[in-house]
Amino acid sequence: MANGGWRIARNRGGAQLPLALLFAFALALILIGKAQSNLFDRARADMTDMASPALNAVRAPLSGVNQWLSNVGHFFSVYDENIRLREEVARLRQWQNTAIVLDDRVKRYQLLLHAVPDPTLSSVMARVIGRASHPFLQTMILDAGTDQGVKPGQAVIDARGMIGRIYLVGRQTSWVILLTDLNSRIPVTLEPGNVQAIMAGDNTGAPTLGMLSQANRTLKAGMQVVSSGDGGLLPPGLAIGTVVSDNAGNFRVALLADSTSSEDVRIVDFGKKAEAPPGLSQKDLPAVAAGLPPAAPPPPMTERAPVPVTIPPGAAPLPPPKVDGKPAPVVAPATPPTPAPVPGQAPTDAAANAGTNE
Amino acid sequence: MERAGSIMGGRILSAIIPVGLGLLGAMLANFPVSFLGGLVPPPLLVLMPIYYWAIVRPDLMSPFWIFVLGVLQDLFSGGPPGVWAASFLATYALIDNQRDILAGLSGVSAIVGFAISALLACGSAYFIVAIYFWHLPPLAPVMAELAMTVFVYVFAVFLLGVIHHRFVGPLRSDF
Repeated sequence: MANGGWRIARNRGGAQLPLALLFAFALALILIGKAQSNLFDRARADMTDMASPALNAVRAPLSGVNQWLSNVGHFFSVYDENIRLREEVARLRQWQNTAIVLDDRVKRYQLLLHAVPDPTLSSVMARVIGRASHPFLQTMILDAGTDQGVKPGQAVIDARGMIGRIYLVGRQTSWVILLTDLNSRIPVTLEPGNVQAIMAGDNTGAPTLGMLSQANRTLKAGMQVVSSGDGGLLPPGLAIGTVVSDNAGNFRVALLADSTSSEDVRIVDFGKKAEAPPGLSQKDLPAVAAGLPPAAPPPPMTERAPVPVTIPPGAAPLPPPKVDGKPAPVVAPATPPTPAPVPGQAPTDAAANAGTNE
Repeated sequence: MERAGSIMGGRILSAIIPVGLGLLGAMLANFPVSFLGGLVPPPLLVLMPIYYWAIVRPDLMSPFWIFVLGVLQDLFSGGPPGVWAASFLATYALIDNQRDILAGLSGVSAIVGFAISALLACGSAYFIVAIYFWHLPPLAPVMAELAMTVFVYVFAVFLLGVIHHRFVGPLRSDF
């Protein structure tokens, strides 16, 4: 252990000068890497391709050991965990039924409104053959690359939610930048409320939320976090996690997916452009579709155009004016409609005043 | 003649081993397979031969080779280029200035000496990354890596000592 047993070589003449030069060169390398972030990417991709057979060979036995090690702690809480999971399954079954009904309803609404259909997502199944968890980088390596159509930027998801996105692609392998990594920035939507935010990784297990479109007070623990699709990089609506509050009162995201245990993942290709909405025709109009006769064409313009009439709130309704023997259009008052009274609840001031005026 | 060839081969071997072990350490520590389910971070294996031979044979672990090993650590680890190269060179500067003190340490003190050097390496990398991303990374993973590195060095130093005795040896001019 001691170093003193060996005499030290003293011929280090001129070592200080190359040390300073090399240090300056290292700093220059950092600056160059900052300006051109893919400086090492090609070499890394090639190295990973070369190492993929070895990674595949050691993956199977090591994954068994890792799984066993990660499950050691669960042996002591099997009973409690079982009860908790039973309750969760029952609750999720209810939510599943609700989701199926709502999904069906949304599809019917989209059909009625001729909404732009969601783009079809194609995906590639891949296996995790490597993981690296360094202090400044958290990544995983997949056994799919350009030969399988994988491209940088594509989202990587497992059965539970989004894990990260591809940032480096070789021929047979690809690197995933995890959502928890320092480099990860994802535009997300928080539901309910449609709050737009940026989810940023900081190498902890729960990424932070920043650059909110609304004030922080609109956030609540338990809100669902999904990808917003802003920028067209990721498909919208990918499940990511749930908003939680940490000890310091900051909001973070508890991820649904567990990147440390994922074995098989999907790489989602969002490269396809959204399909164009179908063109409208006369027979697609709701009245025609319902079997009603088509609306009569508008009358030709006369010398005197119909004058819109504004009814002040609380005023008695006027008889409809006649313009060329037809009623003129009526514009609704600018004030919002009075909400219907709720049984057992005192009316608001506006509703009370409106009632007084009438 | 045969003896001269043997001496030449031994010199080449002794020159290759420190840098070769550094390269092996960089590859092993950054092999993307977790042996303990991600519970502990991989140690900075490359720092151990750097520290050891920068003290006992600085002619074999010159700043140039430390720069090369740092760049390889950057390349294998997937991080920004130059971070570990600069950090290892900063550590070498400390070792170079305090070589006499560090070489005189033994037992627990020798481990403490390595721990201080590892702290400088990890601290340098931490601050460079913080400036690089303009965001303070969490300290816990760096501290865990530092602790793991020092823990592994307790055992690795025996192996390094054996390799040094058998294959590298002191500089001929020091006899």
